[in-house]
Parts: sequence; structure tokens; C-alpha cells
Amino acid sequence: MSFSEKINNGKFIITAEVAPPRGTYYQTIIEGIKPLKGYVDGFNVTDNQRSMVRASSIAMSRVLLENGFEPICQFTARDRNRIALQSDLLGAYILGIKNICLMTGDFTTLGDEKGAKPVFDVDSLLMLKIVKTLEEGHLINGKELKGKPSFNVGAVFNPFAGPEKLQIEKLRKKVELGAKFIQTQPVYDIETAKRTHEIIKETGAIPIIGLLPIKSLKMANFIKKLNPKSVPDKFIEKLASAKDPHTYGWEYTLEIAHGIAEFGRGIHFMLVGKTYELAKFIDYLKNESPYNHKF
Amino acid sequence: MVVVELKPFNEILKLISPYKKVTVLGCEIGSGRCMQGGLREAKEIAQFLENNGKEITEVLTIGGTCLIEKVRKLEFKETDVIISLACGAGTQVVAEETEIPVVTGVSTLFIGADCHREVFYEYCIACGDCIISETAGICPIARCPKSLKNSPCGGAINGMCEVNNDTECVWFTIERKLKKLKQPFRIGEPTFIDFSRSNHPRRFKNEL
Repeated sequence: MSFSEKINNGKFIITAEVAPPRGTYYQTIIEGIKPLKGYVDGFNVTDNQRSMVRASSIAMSRVLLENGFEPICQFTARDRNRIALQSDLLGAYILGIKNICLMTGDFTTLGDEKGAKPVFDVDSLLMLKIVKTLEEGHLINGKELKGKPSFNVGAVFNPFAGPEKLQIEKLRKKVELGAKFIQTQPVYDIETAKRTHEIIKETGAIPIIGLLPIKSLKMANFIKKLNPKSVPDKFIEKLASAKDPHTYGWEYTLEIAHGIAEFGRGIHFMLVGKTYELAKFIDYLKNESPYNHKF
Repeated sequence: MVVVELKPFNEILKLISPYKKVTVLGCEIGSGRCMQGGLREAKEIAQFLENNGKEITEVLTIGGTCLIEKVRKLEFKETDVIISLACGAGTQVVAEETEIPVVTGVSTLFIGADCHREVFYEYCIACGDCIISETAGICPIARCPKSLKNSPCGGAINGMCEVNNDTECVWFTIERKLKKLKQPFRIGEPTFIDFSRSNHPRRFKNEL
């Protein structure tokens, strides 16, 4: 069952993240995710995440397709004006890329090309509006398209951003504008996961809760700096006293993942490495866990 | 007002290295207000240049240097170079209206608000499509790094901007002000900013 079929059929969804190479050598990345073939429903291909240059998400998505993986191509508004966005969306569709995930994007100065001119001609809402317009057979200037795309559209939600009321309203708007699934920033406790799931569910979209396993105390502090409310102090304390923080962080993540399988609709693993272990866990969820009927 | 920043005096000295006789022209609108290029700074620069072997012909201001009719009335004493401390607009007017070489002693920063002459905040990017009536008089186009017109991004950390963590996310400021004004705000149909209105060079003709 494809990613979009799973979304439409109410199945539990598991997505993972894959970053295009900083360079031209993508083969090792493909090799790296091979253990996840058949386990993960879609791979989010990041678009120059944290404003650092990598190969294009469209090209990498195509490579994934050719290797039998289902890509979810991320598009940010940071580097493209409305002309480039429409062109890239149409181009991606021509290349067979059906799943897309749209976001405003990190600001340029947060990356390693601080002098670059940020574009931000449009925001995530307008990106969704652009996709909707293309799917209706038009450019946003009204000109008719010769052949129109049809995407499986997703967007993102950060449960820790604010102002809360505006964020939720914006989320609603995203769904109104065609976002079918919503992937979130990583959460680190089951209560937040549950609350986030409910907020997204209420809009009518499919919540796919983000999980990013923490490998070290240093990484925990980095994430906490990005989102101070996201990482519970208790987790940090335990991580600090853990004999093997890497394993502890991983097990903690799996525990939350298991909890989400109980009530949720999907998990988005933003992980690097541990692919065999993840495949094993997904195998357990799908076959032996009490929630295996959901998959 | 236009906010400018005085260049380091050594840099100014380098800029005028081919010249001997120097005129320093301050501006009392933005530059003077910022204390980066009014008469006082013009005199300080003159003193510095004199100490470094230059001959100062004149130190003056005419108030606003971007007013063409005022600049046209100017008659400079014999000089090799004019150092203008006006913003980019004022300096260009001077350069256009004289045959004497003009260099700038400041860098023009932005259109800003003056907080007790201590801090200057960018409040306007002159996008040409003003929407602040709908956002409690606070401009998200200028005061959000991403110029987000329709809603906040998902990056604010504890209410602070992800780009400048010492600055409140402008959408928090807007929301708070709207609450105070008891004005409802709803994220409506998102609209594009019409950047064609800010394509430069721009022209505005007064039809009066």
C-alpha cells in the first residue's frame, strides 16, 4: 500500500527522514536506508535543512523513486520565489514525485551561507495555495496549464511554537488549503504527543508525530536550546546518568513511539543511523504489538 | 527616519587619500538625529582629518541634504572632495548637483524608529503595500525576518524570534496589541505581497 493509500485508508503511517548528500555521491545514502525498505511508508527528503547546501530534494526524491523508495519531497519558501516554486513543483511532478511537504523554512542566517539573500516571497500558506491552484490546472496568474499535477500534500506543525491560538488557526488554514497530513517537530513526552495528535486530528488532517532520538547529552541540550519546552528535565537527568546515552535515548524514543501507536495515526522518525534497529522495531509494531491491526 | 551609521574615521581617511582639501557636509535629518552624521560628527571628523594632515576647507550642514532645492543653493568653497554624512539619498543628491567628487562617511542602514537616540529599530521596509491597519499598527513585513504577512512561522522559541533571539516574535507583539485593543484577528485567505510595488528604482509623483 502506498503512502497516500495508507493516508486515505486510515492506516498507521511511519515516515523517516533522509537528507540529500552534500556533494554528488548519493549511493551510500541509498545503501544506508535499504534496511528500511518495506518498513517505512515514505521518506521525507529534506530541502537544504538548517539553510545548509545539499543536493536538491527533487533530484534526491527521484533517486529514491528509482531505487524503490517512496519519497516525500520537502519544499521550503526560503530559496524560491513564486516563479521558481511553481516551476519546481511542476518539474517534481513530471519526475514522478507525488508526495510533497511544504514549509516556510529556516532563515538563511541560521545556516552556513549567512550572506545569502533570503527569498521568502511566499509563506507556507501561500505555498499550499499555489499547489491547489496548480492542481486546478492554473498558474497563480490564471494562465492555463498543459497537464496538471495531483499531489499528496503535507505540511508541518511545531507544537512548541506560538502564539498558540494563531498557530492552531494557521494549522486549520493549512488543512483547508489542502494539507492532508501534518508532520511535527520532534516531541519528547507522550503527553505532548497526545495533545499534538488531538490538535491536528481536530483539523481533519492526519497527524504524523515527529520523533528524533537523542544520542547524547550534548544533542539533548542543543534540542532544548531550539525548543526549551520540548525536552523534559527528567529525561535529561536520566540521560546524564545513563551508562550508554545513545542506547538510552533510542529506547526512550521507542517507548514514545509505542505509546503513539496506541492512540495515533503516524510517526515521523527524524533519525540518522540505527536503520536496522528501526526496521526491527517497526517489524515488532506491525506484527507482534497489540496495535498490529492498525498497520 | 533613515538610520545611518558613521564609518570608522580611518576608513574615511582612506576614502579621501588622493585629496588634500576637504569639505565635510553633515545632515540634520536622519544622520543628525542618529548622532552619526550631524554637524557635531562633521566637526569631529574634520578635527581627525586635520590631525592626519588634511586641509579642512569647510564644515557645514544645510539641514536636510535630500532636499534638492536646498542643495542647489549650496556654493562650496574651493575643495578637492566633499565628505557627505547624509543617507544614501542625500549624498546622491549632493553628488548629482556638484562637479566636485563626493564620498560618503556613513553607511545607510534602514527606515527606523528612534528610541531616545539610543537604539534605532527597523520598522519599515517601504514595501509599498502597507497592511499595518490590520495588524494593530505593527508591521510584520519589516519586523519579521521572513516578512511573513499572513501568520507567524513555526520557529519562535519562547516567544522570541528564531533569527534574533533578543527580539520578540513580531506576531506575539501583534497578538498582544490586538488583544489590548479588543480587536479580533483571524487568519484569513492568505494573500501575496505585491513586490512589484517595491521594485526599485521607484518614483512617486505628487499630483497636487
